[in-house]
Amino acid sequence: MNSPDPQQLKTWLLASGKRDAAAFRFLYDASSAKLFGFALRILHKRELAEEVLQESFVAIWNNAANYQGHLAAPMTWMATIVRNKAFDHLRRSDAAVEIDAEQFDREVMNALMDPQATPIEALQMSGDAKALAWCMSALEGMQRQVVALAFYHDLSHSEVAAHMKLPVGTVKTWIRRSLEKLRTCLAKREQA
Amino acid sequence: MNIRNNIVLRQKLAAEYVLGTLKGGARRRFEGWLHQDADLRNITAGWQQRLAPMAEFAGEVVPPKSVWAGIERRLDLKKKPARWQFWLNENLAFWRSLGMVSTALAAMLVVIVMQRPPADAPSIAYVATLSDDKAQAAMLLTADSKHRALDVRVITSAQVAADKSLQLWAVPKSGNPRSLGVLVGNRGSFTLADSAVSGDVAVLAVTLEPKGGSPDPKGPTGPILYKGHWIRL
Repeated sequence: MNSPDPQQLKTWLLASGKRDAAAFRFLYDASSAKLFGFALRILHKRELAEEVLQESFVAIWNNAANYQGHLAAPMTWMATIVRNKAFDHLRRSDAAVEIDAEQFDREVMNALMDPQATPIEALQMSGDAKALAWCMSALEGMQRQVVALAFYHDLSHSEVAAHMKLPVGTVKTWIRRSLEKLRTCLAKREQA
Repeated sequence: MNIRNNIVLRQKLAAEYVLGTLKGGARRRFEGWLHQDADLRNITAGWQQRLAPMAEFAGEVVPPKSVWAGIERRLDLKKKPARWQFWLNENLAFWRSLGMVSTALAAMLVVIVMQRPPADAPSIAYVATLSDDKAQAAMLLTADSKHRALDVRVITSAQVAADKSLQLWAVPKSGNPRSLGVLVGNRGSFTLADSAVSGDVAVLAVTLEPKGGSPDPKGPTGPILYKGHWIRL
């Protein structure tokens, strides 16, 4: 599936805010595979991921009228909803979070580790995601993993530290520096 | 803690809020600041925009069809316009073409009605002929405003199945159809309600319903058999 044009997604999202069920269907068709992949990677259980995706799209429909295009791209806005719903589910179920070594899609992992061998440009993702991938590939491997762990599993500094068998202070420093590097790198790419 | 003037700290807190590593009391405090600090909201939105695309690193997995079916069901998206509204729109052209014919027909029928003996002379204020889908007159309605009586007669030989009833409706321009009564056999004598002949009634319709009338308080459930308009005398 090709990455949908953000402008097109925005049009559908705004129309969904005006109760246009047909536009909402288009929005779902264009974004659900990405969002389901995301939910699945957080939750691991298919049934749970399906439930979260369903709840998320109900929330997207119900809140679409409040979507502010100047603050967030449509995928950003929707992914944030999915992420919050997924974490809510995990907190409620109180189940131990399953964290596997494979953070990301294998091809994306390869591209992050060695963009020469697996070009980021060839990945099936939005321009925003490619820019982030490019900047994350410039981070040192462990630091990238620390950021990804926190983002995908809602972990605290000490939980990340425990999982990575690192001192908490190290994790805190790495996260702070990594985020700072990402900001600088993304700003540079934007200007370029 | 005042973070208003600490640009570095504002960036750090917003970033870790979005990443999720800002937890507990610190997170709640930050959310409190967000409410009253538009600039902080913008900084946070910037971090959402930077980090949320990481969601796409997960790769795509097409969800099963049941997910969309569930969304559709929960949000009631399949809800079509109410059926009587559909009749209204669909039949507008039909009614325009039919108008002349049925007006003439109704006028003739009025003459017949008026030729009854004058003893208990009803004061017929409205008449209507309802027609079937082939524009054949099938039913005659007369509304007697003096006696508040609505008289309905089927004027075809069509038979209604034993487990069905014909129900008469006044369909307003907006809102739910109003039931005027359920026919017994091929006749009906009902009390004439003001809402049956009020100005907002767009169409009169007869539907085929389960015996005793529509089970849905909001309107008809069965197919429409006859339609027509009031003619004021």
